[in-house]
Amino acid sequence: MQFNEDLLRKVIEEVMAEVAAPAAAAAPAKTIVTEGTVSKIKWTPLGNAKRGTDPREVVVALPPAFGDQFQKTIIDVPHAEVLRQVFAGIEEEGCNYRVIKVYHTADVAFIAHAGAKLSGSGIGIGILSRGTSVIHQRELAPLANLELFPQCPLLDAEVFRQIGKNAAKYAKGENPVPVPTRNDPMARPRYQGFAALLHNKEASYLDRGKAPVEFTVEIA
Amino acid sequence: MAEKKRSKRFETLEQRPVHKDGFTGEWVDVGLIAMGSPNDPIPSIKIAGGKVVEMDGIKREDFNMNEQFVADYAIDLEMAPKAMAMSEKEIAHKLVDINVPRTECTKIMQGLTPAKIARVMDCLNIAEIILAMQKMRTRQTPGTQAHITSATDNPVMLVADAAEGALRGFTEMETTVAVVRYAPLNALSLLIGAQVGRPGTLTQCALEEAFELQIGMRGLTAYAETISVYGTENVFIDGDDTPWSKAFLASCYASRGLKMRFTSGTGSEVQMGAAEGKSMLYLEVLCIMITKGAGVQGLQNGSISCIGVPGAVPSGLRAIAAENLVTVALDMEVASGNDQTFSHSDLRRTARTMPQFFAGTDYIFSGYSGTPNYDNMFAGSNWDIEDQDDYLALQRDFKVDGGNRPVTEDETVAVRNRAARALQAVYEEFGFPPITDEEVEQATYANGSKDIKPRNVPEDLKAAEKLLKEGITGVDVVKALAKRGYNDIAEKVLMMLKQRVSGDYLQTSAWVTKDGYVWSAVNDPNEYAGPMTGYQLSPERWEEIKNIPWAVRPEDI
Repeated sequence: MQFNEDLLRKVIEEVMAEVAAPAAAAAPAKTIVTEGTVSKIKWTPLGNAKRGTDPREVVVALPPAFGDQFQKTIIDVPHAEVLRQVFAGIEEEGCNYRVIKVYHTADVAFIAHAGAKLSGSGIGIGILSRGTSVIHQRELAPLANLELFPQCPLLDAEVFRQIGKNAAKYAKGENPVPVPTRNDPMARPRYQGFAALLHNKEASYLDRGKAPVEFTVEIA
Repeated sequence: MAEKKRSKRFETLEQRPVHKDGFTGEWVDVGLIAMGSPNDPIPSIKIAGGKVVEMDGIKREDFNMNEQFVADYAIDLEMAPKAMAMSEKEIAHKLVDINVPRTECTKIMQGLTPAKIARVMDCLNIAEIILAMQKMRTRQTPGTQAHITSATDNPVMLVADAAEGALRGFTEMETTVAVVRYAPLNALSLLIGAQVGRPGTLTQCALEEAFELQIGMRGLTAYAETISVYGTENVFIDGDDTPWSKAFLASCYASRGLKMRFTSGTGSEVQMGAAEGKSMLYLEVLCIMITKGAGVQGLQNGSISCIGVPGAVPSGLRAIAAENLVTVALDMEVASGNDQTFSHSDLRRTARTMPQFFAGTDYIFSGYSGTPNYDNMFAGSNWDIEDQDDYLALQRDFKVDGGNRPVTEDETVAVRNRAARALQAVYEEFGFPPITDEEVEQATYANGSKDIKPRNVPEDLKAAEKLLKEGITGVDVVKALAKRGYNDIAEKVLMMLKQRVSGDYLQTSAWVTKDGYVWSAVNDPNEYAGPMTGYQLSPERWEEIKNIPWAVRPEDI
C-alpha cells in the first residue's frame, strides 16, 4: 500500500478537527448502523458490560472507533470481515462470543485484558482498528498474553479466523498450537509512520471515564 | 488528454528501494517533528527552599508527574544556577572541545533542565555529535549487543545462535518470543548458548516486566533492558505506570544484584498518540532524565521500535544520534539502538549506524540481529547476521572497533554443535520434550529456522510451564550440566550466577570477561581528550579485525 503526504495530511486534519470538537458526537444510546466498504455493521448497545457466566464464551473487545469511524484495517481488511471471521472461528469450535467496546484505553493489551476479565471463560480477544490483536486470559498480567499479533500489516482475513478458533480452544481448556507467527522485517519502514497517525486517530475517540459497554453486532 | 511523458531518469529513481520508505513532512500540532518544536518549552529554572519551583516556564503546582519527577530527582540543584546561566552554544562547544574534560561536561549537563538540554543538542551538527559521543560515552572500550530470536521459538536454534553470537563478540545478547509462553525456554537456551560461545556474555529475555524480573531472579537471565519510560503523562498512564513505579522496579533489580537499564526513544509518544505537540527529542530528554532520576545506570535509546517515525521526518536520524549523546552526557551507559528495521535502502540503513559506529558507544547496537531477519522477533533489526561480513569489512576499512570479530566456519560449527548437545542433555535431565540428534545436526549447520524441522509446540509449552511451576533455577541448570559431564559450561553458568552476589556488574556500563572479571565505567572510564587518547585498538585486537578470513594473503601467492 502506498500512502502519500496528502493522505497523511487528511488523516491529521481529521484528528485535529475531532480533537478540537470532542463533545460534538456524544454517543446516542440507540442502534448505530455504520457503512463499511463491503457491508454494514449494526451496533446495538446493551449497557455496561458485565462479567459473563458462560464458560464457553469468548469476549471480543474493541476500541470505540472500530467499525465506526474506522471501517477497515491498515491493509484494508473491512472491519465487518474481521468480525465475521473472528466470530466464525469461535463458533466453529462450538463456543459463543460477546462483543464489548472499551473506552478508557487504546492499548490493545489492556483492551484484550478488559475483555478477558469480563469473559465467562476468562478468554478475551482485543482488536485495534488497524488490526493489531491479542488473545488474552484473565489470570495473566495485562502485558502478558496467550498470543500476540503485533504486526498489523500481516493480518489478513484468514489470520482473524485462526485467532477466533484458537481463542475458543483456550476457552475450552485446550492447549492449541499458536497461530503461526508472521514476520516481515520491512513492515515497519513501510507502515510505521502511517500506523502512528492511525493510532493518534484511534486515541482521539477514547472516553477515559467511561466503562466498557456490551453490544450486539449484526453484520449485513 | 495524452499521458504525461515521463523521464526515464525519474522512473528509474522511483524504482529504488528508498522510495518504499515512508517519508512524511513535519506536523507540529501532533508532535511529528524531530527537534525544536515551537511548542517545546523555553528553558528556565527557579529554585527556592531547596526545591525547583519553576522549570522550563512551568510552575511547580502545574507540573505533570514527569516534570515533578525530573525536577525533584534529576537536576543537580547546586549546579543548576551556573549551568542554566550558560548559553546553549557555550555548552555545545564544551561537549565537542577536547580541552574540556568529560567530567566537567557531565557536571554541567546534570544542572540543566529538559528544554535546555534539547536546545543544546540543536546546536550540534552530526559530525559534532559524533565527536561529542566519542568523548562523552561512559566506558572507554566500546561494545555491542545482539538479538537472538527464532520465528518458531526453536530452542535448539536459539542455543546454537546464542553460542555463535557470543563467539562473534557480542558482550550482551537479548531474546524475545514469537509465542509468549515459550519465554522461559528461550531464556534457558540463551543462558547456556552464551556460556558456550564466550563465557561471561550477559543474556536477557525481553518480555512483560514482572516476568522479566521473575526469570532474572531465578538466574535464567543476567540482566534486563525492557523497562520502558515515556515523555508524556498519558502514555505512562496507558501502561498503568508512573516514573515512581519504574524506579521501584529498578530497585527490585538492584536489590537482587541484577544489571538493568531502562528503554525509551524518540517517536514513542507521537506513535501512541500523545505527544502534545512537543518535539520527539524534547520528550526523549524527559525520558533520559527520568532514567537518571530513578538512579538507573543506563538506558537503551535511539528511537528503538518507533524508528519509523523519526526516520520519516527531517533531521530525524540526527535527533536519534543526539538522544544517545544526551544519555552518556548525563553519565549513563547507552545501548544506542540500530536495532530495528527502518529503511528498505541499504544506503540509508548503513548511514543510520555510522555515527554510533565511528564514535563507539557502550553498546553500538542494542540488538544486532544474530539471526536472519526473518527470524528476528523484534520485527527485524537494522543489521542482521547476513550483513555480518559487510560489518567486519567496515571495522577493517576504517580501523574501528565495532565489537565483532571474524570467526572461522569450523570454530562456529563447533560451538553451535556443543551448545545444542548441552541443551539436549539439560532437556533430558529436566524431562522436557527430547531434542533429537537430527535436530542437533540441523541446528549446527543451519542459517535460520527454515533449515530445521518444526517442534511439537504444545509439548514444548508444557515444558515451559513446568519450568515455571517447578521453580527451576539457574542452579538446577548448573547441576544438570555438571551431571551430564558439561562441567566447563556448568562452571561458567555458575560464574554468571555469582555475579549477582558480588554485584560488581551493577556499576555503570559493565560487562564480564570469560574469567568473570568485570569491566565498567569505574575501572575503564572514558578518558578521551583528543587524538592518541581514549580507546586505542591494541595490536592484538587490530590483528584480529584485519584478518577477515576471505582476504587474499599476499604470502600465499
